[in-house]
Amino acid sequence: MKKNIKIIGGLLLSATLFLTISGCSKFLDRQPLTATLNDLNQGALESQSLGLYNALRNGANSSLPWLDFNSIRDDDAQKGSSTTDGAEINTEFETFQYTKDDWATDWYWSDHYNMLNLCNKELHWADSLKVTDPASLRNIGEAHFFRAYAFFDLVKAYGQVPLINFYYTNAADGIKPKASIAALYAQIDNDLDSASKLLPLNWVVGGTNRYPGRLTSGAANTLWAQTYLFRGQWAKVVALCNTVISSGQYTLDPSFTDIWKDGLNGAGKNGPESIFEMQATCGANGTNDNGADGWGTSQNVRQGGATVAWNLGWGWNVPTKVLQNAWDSTDPRKSMTILYSGQSDGGPSTGGYGATLPPYAPGSGLDQPYWNKKVYSDPAMRQYTGKINSNGGADWINHRILRYADVILMLAEASNELGDGATAAKNLELVRNRASGNLGAGRTIVPTIAFVSQAQMRTAIKNERRWEFAMEGYRFYDLVRWTPATDGIDAPNALGGLGYTPKNALYPIPQPAINLSGGVLVQNPNY
Amino acid sequence: MKNYYEPDQGIQVFLIYLTLDNKSMKKTKPESAFNNSGILKVLLFMKLTVAILLISLVQVSAKGLAQSKVSLKLNSVELKKVLIQIEKKSSYRFLYNDDAISLTNPKVDINVENMLVTDVLNSIFAGTNLTYKELGHKLIVLSAKDNLIADIKIIGRVLGSNGEAVPGATIRVKGTTVVTSADVNGYYSIVAPDNATLVISSVGFDQKEIAIGGKKEINVSLKESEKVLDQVVVIGYGTANKRDLTGSIVKVSGKEVADRPNTNPIASLQGKVAGLYVVNNGDPGAAPDIRIRGTVSIGQVHPLYVVDGIFNDNIDYLNPNDIESIEVLKDPSSLAIFGVKGATGVIAITTKKAKVGQTTINFNTSYGFKKLVDKIKLANASQFSTLFAEENANNNVSTPDYSALTANTDWIDAVTRVGNFSNTGLSISGSTEKNKFNFGASYISDQGIVKNQELSKIILSLSDEFKVSKGIKLGVNFNTARTHNPYDATWVLNSARQVMPQVSALPQTFTVADPYTGVVGPKSIYSGLDVALQSSGVVNPLLQLQNEWDRTIDYNNRYVGSVYTDINFLKYFNFRATWYGDVSTQDKRKYVPLYYAFNPMNNTPYLSSSQTSFTENVNDWKKFQQDYLLTFKRVLGDHSITALGGFTTYYSGSFYRQVSVKQGTDAASLPIPNDPRFWYVSSGPWGVVDPTGTNSSQSEYSTVSAFGRILYNYKSKYYLNASLRNDASSQIPVQNRNQLFWALGAAWEITKEDFMKDQKAFDYLKLKASTGVLGNQTASMLDGTPLPYPSYPNLNTGVNAVFGTNLFAAAQQSYIANPNLKWENVNASEIGIEGNAFNNRLHFEFNYYSKITNNLMTYVDRSAIGLQNELINGGSLKNWGEELSATWNQKINKDFSLSFGGNITFMKNQVVSLASDLPNGFLSRQFMNNGSAESRTMVGQPIGSFFGYTVAGLYQSYADILGSPVASSIGSYRPGDFKFKDIAGPGGTGPDGQITADDRSVIGNPTPKFMYGGTINLTYKRFALGIDVGGVYGNSIFRTWGSLESPFQRVNYAAFKMNRWHGAGTSNWEPIISQGDRINYNGSTYNIEDGSYFRIRNVQLGYTLDPKLLAKCKITNLRLFANIQNLKTWKNNNGYSPEYGGDATAFGYDNGGGAIPMVTTFGLNVTF
Repeated sequence: MKKNIKIIGGLLLSATLFLTISGCSKFLDRQPLTATLNDLNQGALESQSLGLYNALRNGANSSLPWLDFNSIRDDDAQKGSSTTDGAEINTEFETFQYTKDDWATDWYWSDHYNMLNLCNKELHWADSLKVTDPASLRNIGEAHFFRAYAFFDLVKAYGQVPLINFYYTNAADGIKPKASIAALYAQIDNDLDSASKLLPLNWVVGGTNRYPGRLTSGAANTLWAQTYLFRGQWAKVVALCNTVISSGQYTLDPSFTDIWKDGLNGAGKNGPESIFEMQATCGANGTNDNGADGWGTSQNVRQGGATVAWNLGWGWNVPTKVLQNAWDSTDPRKSMTILYSGQSDGGPSTGGYGATLPPYAPGSGLDQPYWNKKVYSDPAMRQYTGKINSNGGADWINHRILRYADVILMLAEASNELGDGATAAKNLELVRNRASGNLGAGRTIVPTIAFVSQAQMRTAIKNERRWEFAMEGYRFYDLVRWTPATDGIDAPNALGGLGYTPKNALYPIPQPAINLSGGVLVQNPNY
Repeated sequence: MKNYYEPDQGIQVFLIYLTLDNKSMKKTKPESAFNNSGILKVLLFMKLTVAILLISLVQVSAKGLAQSKVSLKLNSVELKKVLIQIEKKSSYRFLYNDDAISLTNPKVDINVENMLVTDVLNSIFAGTNLTYKELGHKLIVLSAKDNLIADIKIIGRVLGSNGEAVPGATIRVKGTTVVTSADVNGYYSIVAPDNATLVISSVGFDQKEIAIGGKKEINVSLKESEKVLDQVVVIGYGTANKRDLTGSIVKVSGKEVADRPNTNPIASLQGKVAGLYVVNNGDPGAAPDIRIRGTVSIGQVHPLYVVDGIFNDNIDYLNPNDIESIEVLKDPSSLAIFGVKGATGVIAITTKKAKVGQTTINFNTSYGFKKLVDKIKLANASQFSTLFAEENANNNVSTPDYSALTANTDWIDAVTRVGNFSNTGLSISGSTEKNKFNFGASYISDQGIVKNQELSKIILSLSDEFKVSKGIKLGVNFNTARTHNPYDATWVLNSARQVMPQVSALPQTFTVADPYTGVVGPKSIYSGLDVALQSSGVVNPLLQLQNEWDRTIDYNNRYVGSVYTDINFLKYFNFRATWYGDVSTQDKRKYVPLYYAFNPMNNTPYLSSSQTSFTENVNDWKKFQQDYLLTFKRVLGDHSITALGGFTTYYSGSFYRQVSVKQGTDAASLPIPNDPRFWYVSSGPWGVVDPTGTNSSQSEYSTVSAFGRILYNYKSKYYLNASLRNDASSQIPVQNRNQLFWALGAAWEITKEDFMKDQKAFDYLKLKASTGVLGNQTASMLDGTPLPYPSYPNLNTGVNAVFGTNLFAAAQQSYIANPNLKWENVNASEIGIEGNAFNNRLHFEFNYYSKITNNLMTYVDRSAIGLQNELINGGSLKNWGEELSATWNQKINKDFSLSFGGNITFMKNQVVSLASDLPNGFLSRQFMNNGSAESRTMVGQPIGSFFGYTVAGLYQSYADILGSPVASSIGSYRPGDFKFKDIAGPGGTGPDGQITADDRSVIGNPTPKFMYGGTINLTYKRFALGIDVGGVYGNSIFRTWGSLESPFQRVNYAAFKMNRWHGAGTSNWEPIISQGDRINYNGSTYNIEDGSYFRIRNVQLGYTLDPKLLAKCKITNLRLFANIQNLKTWKNNNGYSPEYGGDATAFGYDNGGGAIPMVTTFGLNVTF
């Protein structure tokens, strides 16, 4: 019996110990020693908005996949780099043998949906918090802008895509069939309408721009105008361009090279012509490197067999011989856009720094004859950041996403299509005069083009877009939207020799996305 | 049953009365006669024992009155009355048989004042035929003078052969049920007939019989049993006889790891224990990948280490020489007591403590060499030239002129060396009655086979146990290790194989300017690589290694200690409270100097490292644990019970700080000096703190647990073990915070049954089975990155917005919080049989085990679809298999004995289900460019299965291509490229005439079908030879080198590329040499190699000098030995080694490194 009593006693003691656990709740209550979202009750939307800018720096928006989809596909830009580096990109994007499952293709899709989900989440929060303060409203405007931005990229690249405009956490809820193009554009209009109303005209507080490069209503209106341009809704384009112009926030930079100028302390960035840029920075000795190496580093001169001093980047997105040959050498923009191997970089007057590039000689010299000068890095900045020699790169260069010249040329194009040749000619002249170095009327360089006919003006504007925006990633989608064209400036004409067929206007939807949807998502035609 | 405890004699005596039906109290008249016959003598003795016991029961309350002198005043009373009065007034008690003696006559008068009891007795017995005998414990036996029994009290002490007390040893009078137990210090006392024989036994020792022969003091020395089933093993929160357990615990003696040249003792366990899978690592001090009974989780799979009671996740602070024993706990009935940390198995380490006896000094030292064996084979200079020219021709690219490069360097040789290993230790231990202490100091130096890779470590250990009183002990254990971590050279071997052999490994002298000071002078400079030939990503490993290895300062100081008190009370109870602390600090500073390299093509130097910078890390780890244990242990007739109740708390905190400082080379900057004095933030006017490289991370968690366990057996024939544990964890949301784990085990010792009496084959046979639920405290991302606060998602770091030149931190939580989280649990069960046969020469053990892991804690990564990630419970995993181990011990003659041992484990693993929320329905880990090397964890397949295409051959011609399924969706191709097999179409349909991603399937399983190990030990006179062998069979290795390197890089060719396709019919396996052919960069069966191997793991020859000779030099023992580890490996793969570890869902990758050296050591062990 005593044994039993002791066992019972032991069990009772154990039970007591079990009960002690309740007294240990303090010992067990451990909040993380780092902040979580719940700790940030103030400015939660602000934090999320800032995250959207971070997402803008990802691959699909500012690095190799972006270049593949937007620039390398056209006739004026090619992959560059070396023969073996990224050989698959040549096949996929230069010769239009699109693949359904590869890193660049998958990345482009998922990064855009990532951005969409971030926007949806922020808008969901905003909705549940019922915020009405001005700062939060601006944040909401930013989310709307980025959602429209992502959808616009998707609709241009793929055509119909699932319309994910709601916040969800269960993966199954995100499986949706493709939405119609109209529905997607309706969403874009909706978002940009909100964005243009909620975003500020600028971020100047007390005379200084507190957030250079942050979204404005001007950016929303410019993007909106672009979306109408792609739909051929010319009157809307004109109206929106006029809104941007009349806002008084932007002017054409007097010097074309200054738009691309690189230098210490952000010189050249966010200039008078800038409407929206993906912001990148790198401090002294590589400190504060924000990791946006995709844009500047991916395009700067690749060392190849040259000396290590020319290890400036990976050398993607370079001008083609087609561009070099087609471009009238009297256009000053040509030497400001194309950097030649084996030649002087032209010095400051054409956006150079006084260096001479090693010769084009795969194996012993540079791998490419031409390079994109619009991202050519400043040696002073290379030295300052320590991104030199084997550590080379150009992490600090902004991606100029929206600039005022586009507003001017969109206005010109839309006016011309609406039969307003005078406005078209006037605005075309603004861009051409600036390109000439502001030589004014009667100049022989980039001379004035007078309005003769709608067709003549259309061709002139198309050509102007080619020179003005060379290497900036406009041309492929321009060629696609101009298809079919009587003046021969359209995708089949310009790209047919490279392997382009009508189905290539749309990229196939990545196979992983189709697999994930369990068949709900249907592949684009003819893939 | 009752025992008797008399504190003033310092002896704890257990007297056991087995006649339970006798409920009578003191001096009940026995039924039988009390006479002279031998048999009756025994009976008499029994009766006496009854009486003694009964008296002692009452005694407990009377002991305070114990006096040896009495005052009595009685007239004409019966003798009996006198005795009663004496009993009342003193602590004496009388034993007598009413039938044998008469105490009614004569009547006596007595009047004494303060007289010794013995004198009183002498006086009253004078003239009677009565006499008495004092038995001790103030017991006095009365008898007739002619009938004097020869029962005597024997005292003594039971010691082990090492001189250490054997507490709790059982001392039994042979042929009777009279039994006592030795106390904690081995002392015992027993009353027995002077011609009887004592049988002394204790778990873990061979039983011994000693004839009393009238001796009153008998000290016994017991020999430690070599029989496995008699072992005492460490179980959770205590020790037990292996025989009393229902589970599977394997004990490995410290001797088996002590002399092995492994800085990490766990590495020595490979092949020794059935069910323990050890994948070794050749880097100094690196922890092996260890799994017990399979891969039970998709998160944490390494076992829990319990070192002298403290929970740990590694044991890198111990010297192998300081280990007394290692126990591997595998089954549910042993593991449930570890609750939420039990699922992955436990390795319990007991460190050496002082032995009872004189002061001992032990000195041991070993020294040896580590040598690279099984080098991978790479192209030499002429082979490289052939292949390079052919590749360029294949791609219509002109081969650059590299005639300036004329070396023929074996880059593996250039970066490796013969490394040295040494381990020297001194320990001093001593003990007195009150105090036992042990002190040890040792130094280990362990060089890697890669140049400049060296670990050194100083280890101090101290333990002391102080006996406050008979029942109370206080003790302290303390271990500290100061480790100088090696320069991280784990990347070097892989880097070396990439460099083309034409590049010279030798430095050259150039006159260069110091970029800061402008001072020009000669410098010895290593070659860089010519970028036209070998593009970025390939580096000369010597350039970085030789310039940076001695610029890293990396010390780790670790202090692990415990203080305990141990109290024995109320005879059957023991209470033990222990407070543990484990505090460690890492101080690491890594400096990168400026250094030049030269372009080998044109011999021009350039600044390769153009910044001075350093990173300073200060990391702290704090772990605190407290255990309160109450143990009840009692044998009650045929029932033996050990019950344990306990309460424990655990706290673990990790605190990491890093600061990064950089300085450029512009004229205005002062360089950070190449002097450790200045490698601190704010140490001078140099450098700029890099905000993005400066950060901290910190986390802590705690658990509060209560547990209980009962070990029960009936007649040592039927065994029952039950345990229960509740764990409350700070990491789990409050509503699920408490989780309960349990196990139940039963065993049946068949050889104890009557029907087994007549058989001779088996000396011991036990059937056992156990089942239970274990927990796994794991929360990590799929790649193993821990999530310290699983229910509080952290914010992604590095998420910034940039406006102008300013960074604005954004807040993005990395995943969605899940309020329903709980720990993974494992339903484990085991059935087995173990036994001894052929006069105990053969010991064998067979187990079948099954572990089903449920609620897999899955980090669902939805980033691929742009969605928020989530941590959820879902899915289950099954591991099952069989373990068989056997040993044969035989002494052939006086000089020669041998033993053989072997074990084999069959392992199977299958994913039963996965979380339904997974976007793909499976878990994927992808490596190499574009994720072409893939491990998939998918339902119905083993965890981490390799996934890829099946190579049907190579396209031999364009005609062959045209006649084969189209493969263009996975890359361009041509003759000489892989022809993959058309296995399936979209949605699991059959072959569809196209090679697409759907044609991938499971192509390999990284888990072996079985693993095995064997041991041979031969002893001849004073020579001892031990050989350990082991291996695995049936697993796959995924080789990534020689095929899946980045197509952007030019790396040296593997030698097997000489067999490449270079025209129709030249090969149907090695593809055309071309980095541009992307189809070949898909993971396929080409990458899969057989992981089976057989290895002579260890050979050791030892010689012990003649103790007689040594005695003159005051040396107790002197042993010399030579040891060779990894003497020879028979393997089937191309890598350095067949052993490649990893984490739960991705393991078995050969990435071009991982060499495991052969180590030859010589050693000496002296005891004074």
